[in-house]
Amino acid sequence: MLCEKCKIREANIRYTEVVGGVRTEHNLCSHCAREMDFGHYAAVFDTDYPIGRLLSDLFGLDAEQGESEEAGLEQVVCPTCHTAYSDFVKDSRFGCPDCYRVFDLLMSENIKKIQGSDTHKGKRPRFGHDEGREASGKSEKEKLAASIGLLDSKLKEALAEEEYEQAAAYRDQIRELKERLKENE
Amino acid sequence: MSKWYQDTEAGHDVFTASRVRLVRNLEHYPFPVRLSEADGRELVEKLETGLKDIGAADGREFERIPVGSMDQEAREALKERRVINGAAVSKEGPESLLLSADERVSITLDGEDHIRLQCICGGAGLNELWSEADRLDDYINERFDYAFHEKYGYLTAYPTNVGTGLRAAVTLHLPMLSVGKQFGKLVNEMSRFGVAVRGLYGEGSENYGALYELSNQKTLGMTEEEILSLVQQMAERLAVSERKIKSLTLRNHRLDMEDEVCKSYGVLKYARRLSVKEAMTYLSQVRMGVTEGLLKLSEPVNLYGLMMEIQPANMKLLASEDEKSDIRQARAAYIRKRLPELA
Repeated sequence: MLCEKCKIREANIRYTEVVGGVRTEHNLCSHCAREMDFGHYAAVFDTDYPIGRLLSDLFGLDAEQGESEEAGLEQVVCPTCHTAYSDFVKDSRFGCPDCYRVFDLLMSENIKKIQGSDTHKGKRPRFGHDEGREASGKSEKEKLAASIGLLDSKLKEALAEEEYEQAAAYRDQIRELKERLKENE
Repeated sequence: MSKWYQDTEAGHDVFTASRVRLVRNLEHYPFPVRLSEADGRELVEKLETGLKDIGAADGREFERIPVGSMDQEAREALKERRVINGAAVSKEGPESLLLSADERVSITLDGEDHIRLQCICGGAGLNELWSEADRLDDYINERFDYAFHEKYGYLTAYPTNVGTGLRAAVTLHLPMLSVGKQFGKLVNEMSRFGVAVRGLYGEGSENYGALYELSNQKTLGMTEEEILSLVQQMAERLAVSERKIKSLTLRNHRLDMEDEVCKSYGVLKYARRLSVKEAMTYLSQVRMGVTEGLLKLSEPVNLYGLMMEIQPANMKLLASEDEKSDIRQARAAYIRKRLPELA
């Protein structure tokens, strides 16, 4: 496949963009990828391991060295505990809480497969968790976060069913709630 | 103080024991598998210090047991009594355990996850166990921040525990149902409802003692109450089938059943050597005899407790120095002593 930007060189980077739950795939050559505007990700192409390494792996930069796409995925590494995606595949076990964020995209489908769901329901920590030990103002925030989680899963469902109008409505609601959440902070 | 498995078993028939387990991890610490020896030690010390008054809060005494520095056999014995899980037996490093005097509450620190909180009791009682675990969970959470994710809930080393981190389990005694030809199929069928059934004691595919544990497979996307009620319902379904077969057999083949049960009692009361398999098989029969009123013992005895005590590692702990050379002999002697006379 040719690079979608220059249409000259072979595309060896697949860049997946997920915006509001909608996935778009881009196929680029490494040259064009370096020049493309990835917003705040742009820096990663220059910086060093681990963050730079992690994201460049996510973008599949290693494919440049003639490795397969799978190999690229296997080199995604959690910057906190250095668990690689390949370690995860081997042991089916995460190394630290941050792994859930790092491997979210790679893993969420699998988690859904084994658990039949990818959204937590039920008990939440009644103390602490990012907001000190005071209980004040927490319940409002908790409620907002819970509704966002719920809407997020509804959004995904709508997308899977190809009900795009419904999905757009959910997306707007999520955006609104997120803004309210920010104001709350 | 007596252990939970030494209390009376009166009124328990198919529901032999219930168990609730919660998995929790602290924020800002890698999971135990990625924790260096030194960091693990620091974490364990921090948890032990923070939780040192848990006994006062829970209204019972707790003992601190340094599992990490114990030998394999002592750990194996804890596993047989269901205090720790298999992973905690083989794990290396500074693993620790807070255990209540009645062994009803156990908190494994730095096992597979930072905290594994378990409440167990004889007979039915998932809801009470859950309120107890919920309370203890809040007590721990008041002192330590948990790793929690808006979407995935409580974060755990294995994605199979993520979400609620809750495993609700009922131990069922199924001496009739489990000998049926369809039992294997029935067990497989259960997974369609989101629960798993596994044999508790035995070797390979062989089960000793007809004890099976039924538990929820999924931990994410269901509330704790939903999980508890699912496990309770499915366990009741199996219990109903077991009771149905029992009453049918009692009606049509009472003498056969009585014969089997009484022979089992006789072997246990007079044998001079017993393997685990033999002891479990006969104890299972005797337990059924007692719950069905076919055998009347002169005083109550917790037969499930006895089944745990005669497991290999526990038997070695109970045996005297002279007895250790022939553990099967020690087992037979112990059972003779513990099994009451017929009324």
